[in-house]
Amino acid sequence: MYGGGNLFETPKLDELRNEDPIKLKEFEDRIERGEKIEPNDWMPALYRKQLIRMIEQHAHSEIIGALPEGTWITRAPGFKRKMSLMAKVQDEVGHAQLLYSAAETLGKSREQMIDDLISGKSKYSNIFNYPTFTWADCCFISWLVDAGAIVNQTANARGSYGPYCRALDRICAEESFHLKYGHHCVIHLATGTPKQRKMMQEAIDRWWEPLMHFFGPPDKLSVHTETLVKWKVKMATNDENRQQFLDMYVPKIWELGLTIPDPNLKKNAETGLWEYTEPDWAEFKRVINGDGPCNKERLAVRRVAEERGEWVRQAMLAPQSKYVVPLA
Amino acid sequence: MESLDPRIARLEISDDAILQPKEALDQLVTYEVFVQKKDKAAFEHVGIVHASDVEMAFIFAKETFSRRFTCFGMCVVETGKIRITGYTDNDNNIYDQVAKVEHGDGPEEIYEIFHLKKRGKQHVHIGSVEAESYDNALYKAKVLYDDEKPKFNVWVIKNSDILFSDEDDKAIWDTLSDKKYRDATAYRAMDKIKKFKEEQLNQ
Ligand SMILES: [Fe+2]
Ligand SMILES: [Fe+2]
Repeated sequence: MYGGGNLFETPKLDELRNEDPIKLKEFEDRIERGEKIEPNDWMPALYRKQLIRMIEQHAHSEIIGALPEGTWITRAPGFKRKMSLMAKVQDEVGHAQLLYSAAETLGKSREQMIDDLISGKSKYSNIFNYPTFTWADCCFISWLVDAGAIVNQTANARGSYGPYCRALDRICAEESFHLKYGHHCVIHLATGTPKQRKMMQEAIDRWWEPLMHFFGPPDKLSVHTETLVKWKVKMATNDENRQQFLDMYVPKIWELGLTIPDPNLKKNAETGLWEYTEPDWAEFKRVINGDGPCNKERLAVRRVAEERGEWVRQAMLAPQSKYVVPLA
Repeated sequence: MESLDPRIARLEISDDAILQPKEALDQLVTYEVFVQKKDKAAFEHVGIVHASDVEMAFIFAKETFSRRFTCFGMCVVETGKIRITGYTDNDNNIYDQVAKVEHGDGPEEIYEIFHLKKRGKQHVHIGSVEAESYDNALYKAKVLYDDEKPKFNVWVIKNSDILFSDEDDKAIWDTLSDKKYRDATAYRAMDKIKKFKEEQLNQ
């Protein structure tokens, strides 16, 4: 799973001015023709930088996203749910592996990315900084956070960087199980006893705002991303992804008799667009900068895994072979 | 640290420690992984793993790449042992840039050849040649395997550097049938929604 709304750095124009104009044109023509860029191709430094940043954030979101769900495996109701959730969490960690590999082809080692995650230098999807109080919170993540992630990943899979697209094709194929499983869990609670319904409704009330944050700040507040769109790094704007999500999933939530905690949420028949209350973007900023309910705990879990696994990695190091960048 | 996550207490995790800087990189070596998606199909590239040696790379690769999709065979090779040509684009064939090399300075051995036939797709195994060096192998591949269509990139690998799965051990790939819960089709719930909607209407 993964949140959209990547935090790109504002591209500086002079970064492009230093590029060889002939090579830049060849590069842009290739993208224009619909051909993918491969790791050994010439690419502008800015393209490389923004892609590393985006794929790395995506990878971190997969492993950090596995933490809130992972803690529910032992407490999932019944053997079947435990098996399913375990398989889903295993998939998510697998997604991180595929994505780290894709980012590595651009020249940043996996170890460096993990170090940057733990030190707080790299970001991950904000939504995983919120706590899962009940089983229904876990069901909300499996269905709706994954649904949001799929909207974003499907868009990115049409991008220009070969290794990222290949990883995403694989990931999207696996996500279909997550989506169906999550929906199944939510249906079970929503059509269950009054107590189960109440638990599901409370989860939606808690998670709706973080889920609106998940797609990133509105386009009018986002940095200028024209170059990234031309280079097919960014395939859809934050608002486009958010609209698509609302269009696909609000009816599915409503048909279960559940409500969404936004009195202004409705589809405008004329424009065909959803209208909603803007979520609190100051809160989004505050949490992404480290001050959310679970930021410290999420990173601490990763840090401890890294520290306590160090002796294993040291024992396995083969001094005669050296790390190299993957080929594709 | 106060947390809803039972691991935090069990593993005695505190939130104030910082990661100590490491003396040196302890990133393991990179291996490229290839699978056969169908029985007897050509091997195609699926991704990479990091491992301490080729046997461990194979185990990681099996876990990563045969967990969810059909697989009939797998092989792994250390990335540093693959010889790769430059990339071309548009309609340009990389073999047009391959020079005639009729001999090499090594003993004759088997080299495996992989083609990239479309940018964005995977490298696919096309066949093998007996050659005396990488350059010699590449030239022989050009003679044998260069048909009309452009190839954008070629990988040349010594057969002896590759660890292949055992042909007689095919049963190790048959893991999907008893894991139906990993399939989207195991979660049909339309009946439940329909019944729920009918009940709502009758109320
Ligand atoms: Fe995922
Ligand atoms: Fe997922």
